[in-house]
Amino acid sequence: MDPQLTSLIVPPEEITNIDECLSRLVEDTGGNYALLLDKSGQVIAASGDGNRQDTTALGALIAGSFASSQQIAKLLREKDFRMLLQQGVRENLFIALIEDQWILTIIFNKGTHIGLVKVLTKKATEELSTVLERVRKQHKSRDDVLGSNFRTSMEDTIDLLFRD
Amino acid sequence: MAIINVGVREIHCKIVYYGPGMCGKTTNLQYIHSQVPREAKGDLLSIATETERTLFFDFLPLDLGKVRGFSTRFHLYTVPGQVLYERTRVAVLNGADGVVFVADSQRDKLQEDIKSLQELARNITKQNKNFKEFPIVLQYNKRDMPEALPTAVMDKYLNPLNWQRFEAVATTGVGVFDTLKSISKLVISKL
Repeated sequence: MDPQLTSLIVPPEEITNIDECLSRLVEDTGGNYALLLDKSGQVIAASGDGNRQDTTALGALIAGSFASSQQIAKLLREKDFRMLLQQGVRENLFIALIEDQWILTIIFNKGTHIGLVKVLTKKATEELSTVLERVRKQHKSRDDVLGSNFRTSMEDTIDLLFRD
Repeated sequence: MAIINVGVREIHCKIVYYGPGMCGKTTNLQYIHSQVPREAKGDLLSIATETERTLFFDFLPLDLGKVRGFSTRFHLYTVPGQVLYERTRVAVLNGADGVVFVADSQRDKLQEDIKSLQELARNITKQNKNFKEFPIVLQYNKRDMPEALPTAVMDKYLNPLNWQRFEAVATTGVGVFDTLKSISKLVISKL
């Protein structure tokens, strides 16, 4: 099967590692929020200010704008843009690519220095890229994780929910 | 690539509606958004121009609830159809687990349908995916138009790979959920 079609299975222990890395990044930078996304826009983990209700839409938009910046890079004959900064009045967004697969985003305000964010984000991307490497290498099949009846149950749910 | 997050027991899949300009991709999402129960859907997010043409994408998150202990989410996207926005389509297609190709059934749109499908094949191949094995469902939209081509003609030009295909009138919802069910099941089967 096409390797790109198989799912990325992230085991609980790696989610714990990711969570720790994100919390540390938020704490050490004094930032407000850190998000780890897949490049498709799905949120893998988030840490910080718990009042954000809009992470799903935020994930889709950040991944969209990052993917769009990659296309700009191609037009400029750059391989890619590894980082992206968006400055607002209240909050800023710093976005970094991890191994062409994940996107790390940190949201911070004026109290945090951008230089510190850059340095610590780089450190975090290195840690997370080691996690990603381990996640990619493990050989768990879907049935090990979801159980063999998952597909049938899923199809029933789809039939029940997706109708006029 | 779908993500199975075992830690928080979540599964995420991304489905992209692709096709030429004005074929009804956004209309599909609007109809789905209007019919799915409140608890199963998020807000429909549209990045559109003032004239309501899609500029970047529409985004609709659907939450299927817990299935065998896993919260399952489908994220539906549309691409902007206009020829000008090919690079944007590439960006939205990034990491898609399945595609619904919406074709406009009107006779004078066949050429645009064919071009758009060729572009899709090119863009999926560029992502190092095998186009022939990629989960795709076809939707022949605007079947209510007087100028609609016979499905046999559309099959000849658009469906040589024999994908599942559905006739639709997205404005009234005909065929919209059949298409969504089909692509969702196809994506789940490839997890």
